[in-house]
Formats: sequence, structure tokens, C-alpha cells
Amino acid sequence: MRLLLVEDNRELADWLSKTLRQASYVVDVVHDGEDVEHALAAGDHALIILDLALPRMGGMEVLKRLRARGNAVPVIVLTANASLDGRVKGLNEGADDYLAKPFQIEELEARIRVQLRRANDRTAPVISCGDLVFDTNTRLFALGGETLSLTPREHAVLEQLVVKAGRTVSKAALSAAIYDFETDADPSAIEIYVHRLRKKLEGSRVQIATLRGLGYLLRHDDPAP
Amino acid sequence: MRISSLRLQLLAWVVLPLAALVTINLWTSQRNALATADLVTDRMLVGSARAIAEQVAMADGVLDATIPPAAIEMFDTGDRDSVFYRVETAGGRLLTGYPDLPKASQRGSIEASYRGRRLRLLSLSQAVIGAGADSPIKVTVGVTLAGHDAMVKRLWFSDFAQQLALVAIAGVFVLLGLRRGLAPLIRLRDTVRSPDRSDLDPVEVPGAQSEIRPLIDALNAYMARVRAQMAAQRRFIANAAHQLRTPLALLSTQASYALRETAADQRREALVALQASSGRLARLAEQLLTLSRAEPGSRRPRSDRIDLTDAARQVLEGQAPKAIERNIDLGLEETGPVPVIGDGTMLREMIVNLVDNALRYSRPGGSVTVKLAASDGEAELTVIDDGPGIPAEEREHVFERFYRIAGASEEGSGLGLAIVREVVENAGGSVTLGDAASGGLKVEVRLPLSSIED
Repeated sequence: MRLLLVEDNRELADWLSKTLRQASYVVDVVHDGEDVEHALAAGDHALIILDLALPRMGGMEVLKRLRARGNAVPVIVLTANASLDGRVKGLNEGADDYLAKPFQIEELEARIRVQLRRANDRTAPVISCGDLVFDTNTRLFALGGETLSLTPREHAVLEQLVVKAGRTVSKAALSAAIYDFETDADPSAIEIYVHRLRKKLEGSRVQIATLRGLGYLLRHDDPAP
Repeated sequence: MRISSLRLQLLAWVVLPLAALVTINLWTSQRNALATADLVTDRMLVGSARAIAEQVAMADGVLDATIPPAAIEMFDTGDRDSVFYRVETAGGRLLTGYPDLPKASQRGSIEASYRGRRLRLLSLSQAVIGAGADSPIKVTVGVTLAGHDAMVKRLWFSDFAQQLALVAIAGVFVLLGLRRGLAPLIRLRDTVRSPDRSDLDPVEVPGAQSEIRPLIDALNAYMARVRAQMAAQRRFIANAAHQLRTPLALLSTQASYALRETAADQRREALVALQASSGRLARLAEQLLTLSRAEPGSRRPRSDRIDLTDAARQVLEGQAPKAIERNIDLGLEETGPVPVIGDGTMLREMIVNLVDNALRYSRPGGSVTVKLAASDGEAELTVIDDGPGIPAEEREHVFERFYRIAGASEEGSGLGLAIVREVVENAGGSVTLGDAASGGLKVEVRLPLSSIED
């Protein structure tokens, strides 16, 4: 899952993104409001973590413009202003959740999971496809009860496929979801990740199918219930 | 006894002089009543004597004095007065009446005691035709004073009652007037005391007189001042809370990261960063404290005599390790003691903030210079760095609390220059920002120089 973190305090942005990467999220960081639009155009972000006190363009304005453009990406607002008024105003402007600083990273992560689950119309914290299970709380994959060991990149690709299980995911969409701005996006490398994933999934009831010219699709051969 | 009630005071000021006037008035009116009663009694005495005298005539060659009843009855006013008379010849021979009645003057009435009672007496002479040497005869009439005194009392009492009523009515009107006049003050008191007045909104008292208006205006002006101070405090506290939240979030994030990280190197990196963050947080807390102490009214004004040169040297020694760490050439240029009067702790804190800022914004390998000079009664402290400087349009704003220049990459609290200005202004000086020759920032602090002798 690729997240966009908008926070003007560089250190906090740095350490927050590091901590989120520990949990296998792909994280992009921008430091001011005016960069948000470009960042969103350049990548496929599943969620935005938005600080309100931003230089040049305030977080509230960013949010307003985002919703005015019809962008429905979930937004969790971070703010140092914990007043009720501020929270209500933020939610009214289209924020999906609100977290006052200082916060515990565990709470931020829990809220991120809630928003991602909602965005994908899921209610359970566990996604399964055949004998492949993805626990969104621990952010770990398990195959037939055994934890699957994956590199961050493989994790990102498989997460993208399992969230959209049964639907086609284009190579471009995968690329937009797994590379952050720091990395040169290399669409051809995706084939390599898929190849490695297929090896790790060998012998299970799930397969990554290639649809030529369309993309990839995760499916399982369990009989329909 | 001091009368502290306005009502009693005004009442006393109105009623007491009035009562004095009334007393004088009563005294004169008593004299008037007496004069009136005297006059009336005298007229009656004259009338009675004349009536008696007219009845004295020669009968068969003998003087005959018959007393007409009307001459006595005219004194019968219901006060049981007794009338005494004597008719005598010019030679003093008694014709009729009481021989021992005291003699009275012909010119006017007299008062005399007779048979244990007081009498008012009057004499009258009348010629009698044919009486020869016995003419003129002399009639003396006297009357006791019961009717006279009753008349004095009646005249005087009605006056007394009127005047008493006057004083009472005046008192009542004073009280009523006061009640009306003081009503706005009472309303003012009630408005100020009202339990649902928690804010410091201006008090409005409709119908307040021009004498009370200045009191209300002064009260409102005072409350406006207090309100402004409270608002500033509230803003400051809100800002302070705001400014503490992000560093706290950072600390918590760094701690969480370190806890989860298994690689020893990265864990160590997070812990080192955490230590630095907590140091900065401590510095921020210290600055907040300094600023709250620099607030007017929060600390007893102090007038230490301190040598700015000495203070600057101490500060620079304290900051030297930081300068060495960043390879910055930190220097002091001075020509001798620069004595100023002010709060020593705060002035030192002011220099710490200036030097800290300069070191923070100077590029590594650059230089920071602190200059001290005394001239024309002014102490001048100049701090020059070779950092990026501050654009002219930002120079006024950077003195505001928590103001941060947009896009500034250094993590400052936005409090340093606010502290500097507050401290310098408290000490009666001024601070200005300018361009250094090297392109960096030049901060000039001017303080009144304390004379060396005293």
C-alpha cells in the first residue's frame, strides 16, 4: 500500500515514514501543501496522512481542493490543534479521520488500517485468497498457516494483488502503487517480482495469472462455495 | 464619626443646615408672636380704658364713675383672665376700683406683678367737663396674661408645625432624589457583580449621569486592558501547547521505531536522534519559560548593573562547543566594559538566543562575530553571522512569537527573537535587523548605557 505523508516538520516526516516502512508500507513524503497535487498525480496513493499546519498552502485548503477535484482518497488529518472546533471543521471539509499530536504510532497505524479496509469495502481485518492469507493488522502474509517471507517490494506487489484479488491489476497500476519517489520506477522489474512471487506461491492453491496486454490477476482454484 | 454612606452624608448636608435655619426662624417667629399678642392686648386695654373713661361724668356736681360691663367683658376670651381697673382724679383721689393697682405709664403698657399674678397695665387720661381741678381723670386697666400667652402659643405653634413639615419634606425629597440619582450606580454594581458575567465585556449602564459616566468609562478601559492581557496569555499558552505537540509526536515516533527495529545500527541511529529531539524539546521548554518570565508583570523588575561585555564572554564560552562542532569561527570584539542596567539573567538569556540563532543559521565553516561598543550614552551589542539572512519583508514578523519563515529548513522554535525583543524592550532598549557585509544577518541591540561612576 502506498501512502502519502504531508508533514512540514522534516524530522517528524522522516521518522514517521521510516516507521511506516518498517510495517511494509510504501511511503512518499512531501513537506508543503502545494506539492500534494503533484505527488498524487505521480503515484497511486491509497491514503493521505495530512498535517494541517503547512507552509504555503494549509492542510485544510489542500483537503478542500482535493475533494473539489472529486478525489475520494482517504485522508487522515494530523494536527497540533486538538480543539473540538478544529476536529469538526476538518471532518466537515472531507477528512476521514482526525488524529491530534502527540499520538502513538500504534494508533495512527490502526487508523490507517481502518481507512484502507473501508476504502476496499472490507469488514474483516484478514484478506484471504485460497490458502493465502493476509492479516492487515500484523501486515504479514501466510500461506497454508506458514508466514511467507517476502522482500518489501514483493510484499508491495502481492498486497496490491491480494487486495484486488479476482480483478485485473495493470502493470502501470502496480508500478504506481509500489515505487516511492525515491526509487526510479522500473516497470520491467515488476515481471521479476511477479516471477519470484510465483516461485514462493508454488504448490499452493493460488496463482498469479498473466493477462497479456492487461496485467496480472491473483486467483485461487478452490471450488466455488 | 465618619459617615461613609453617601445617602447619610447628603442627607446631613441638606437637613442639618435646614434645621439650623428653621431654629433661627422659630426664634424670630416666637418674638413676632409675642409682639402680636402684646399689640392686641394693648389695643384691648386702650379700648377698655377709653370705654371706662367715657362713662366718667359730673352728676349733681360730683364726679361719678360707673364701669360699663362691656369694658370688662371684652377681655372674656375664654382664658379666664381677670381684669383690674382704677379710676382716679388728677389729684390722685380714687373714684372707683383697686387702690393698690400698680401705676402705669401713660405712654405705653407695662407689665407688673399684682396679687401674685402678672398683669399687663395701661393708663389713659381724659378730661371731664365741669370737673374743675379733678380733670383730667386717669383710668388704669390691667389684665392677667392667660389670653395673651395663649395667643402667643397659638401663633407660634402653627409656625412651628409648618417649619417642621418643611424640614421633613425636604429630607424626604433628598432621599428620593438620591435614590433616583444613585440608581445607575446600583445598576452598575449589580451588572459588575452579576454571576453570569464571567467575561470582561464592557459594562453598559443606560441613563448614567455625566458624573458617573467617567467611572464607568474608566472601569471599561481597565477591563479592556485586563482582557487584552488575558487574550495574549491565552494565545501564548495555546501556541505553546501547539508548539510542544509536534516535538512530542516526534519523540514518540522515534521511540516506537527504535523499539521495533531489530538491526542494531538503525536502532542506535533512532536512539541518538531521540536524544537530540529531547534536547531540543528541553531547549524549547526553557525558551517558553524565559518568555513567560519576560512578560510584563510576571517577574519583579530588576535593575542589576551588569557588564554586557562580561555577559557576552560568558555566553560565548558556553556556546563554544557548538561552534567547534559545526566548525564555525565564533569571535568576540570588544573594547572594554559596557555597563548597562537591567535584569541580568534575562539579558544573558537574550545574548544566548542571539548567538544560538547565529550559530544555527551560519553555514558550517562560516563565522559568527559578537561586537560590543559604548557610545553616546548607548550600549551596542551586534551579532553578525554569514547565514542566509532574513528578507526585508520578514524582518518585522520574525520578532513575533512562534513565527517561522516559510520554507526555513532549520528546526527553530520561532521564539528566540521574540525573547530578544521582549528582554531588550523591558530594559528600555531597541533591536534592529540588518544585512551584514558578508551577506548574513546583523542583529543590533541598543541599550541605555549606565554611567561608570555611579
